[in-house]
Amino acid sequence: METQEAVAESTPMEGTGQSDSKRDGLKKFTLGPNDSLEGKLTYDGHMTVDGGHAEGEFRIGGNIEIGNGTVVKALLEGSNVTIKGEVEGKLTARDKLTLGKAAKLNGDVQVRRLQIEDGATLNGYVRMGDFEQQAGS
Amino acid sequence: MIGQLYIEGDLRVGGVVEGEVEATGDVEIDDLAKVKASVAGRDVSIRGQVNGAIVARKRLVVARSGSLVGDVRVQRLVIQDGASFSGKVSMGAAAEAPAAVAPPPKPVAQEPDIPLMVEAPARIVAAPVVVAPVVATPIAPSRAAQVRPRANDRKDRKAKAMPPKVKPKPKRR
Repeated sequence: METQEAVAESTPMEGTGQSDSKRDGLKKFTLGPNDSLEGKLTYDGHMTVDGGHAEGEFRIGGNIEIGNGTVVKALLEGSNVTIKGEVEGKLTARDKLTLGKAAKLNGDVQVRRLQIEDGATLNGYVRMGDFEQQAGS
Repeated sequence: MIGQLYIEGDLRVGGVVEGEVEATGDVEIDDLAKVKASVAGRDVSIRGQVNGAIVARKRLVVARSGSLVGDVRVQRLVIQDGASFSGKVSMGAAAEAPAAVAPPPKPVAQEPDIPLMVEAPARIVAAPVVVAPVVATPIAPSRAAQVRPRANDRKDRKAKAMPPKVKPKPKRR
């Protein structure tokens, strides 16, 4: 059988790999270096973009992670959002947004909690606070 | 303190400040401080409450206990988990050019006057505004005296004009 649990965290999968596996009860998929995603995605698991190409609008029920060196142009919505690469677009974190040392974020941000590490770059409006069902945008 | 404050050197705010604050050195805003002012400095660190625009020529740190509402123009930005922040952030190259000239950020003090002065926490031992290490810049005291306080601020002014040197008490033997 496959050992997906272990593989899921650090990508290298054979083939064009979207791996679906479980993590704290939620599905999880990873866009690796050879993967590409364009368009609208609604997904209730976790999403990781690590080297892949991603563009569009992603509404994620779980967490979003943008890996080091990855460039994403998208509207992002997720629970915990961790950015180590570059993101351009509006971003909503229902819980916490973390910008790592090398992160670059261009766009408006709505979050509940925010952590920015030294070295990160942010340009845009930041709104913080609890969410009053902002389903639409 | 209410009014404008320009200081060559570092600045530490422990009380209530309203108006405009600018320092050539670092600005530190303590846990108990309530600042309703635009703040400019080299390194700015916020542990209290700030409502106003911030310009940090080098780095802005909003600590765990800090809360900041206002637009921010900085070179580098650190926000610790737990801090609260709302406003526009301009960073990097875009922020550098105007920040170097340090034009007064748009005045924030237009909001209705709330008598914050009254609440000045009595626990704070030193005067609300304390010029910290002035040692390196001998001109500091005279420049610090450029403070233009409004009416009832005379005491503050004195405190600023004279850096908190420990006055040697004449001890009698």
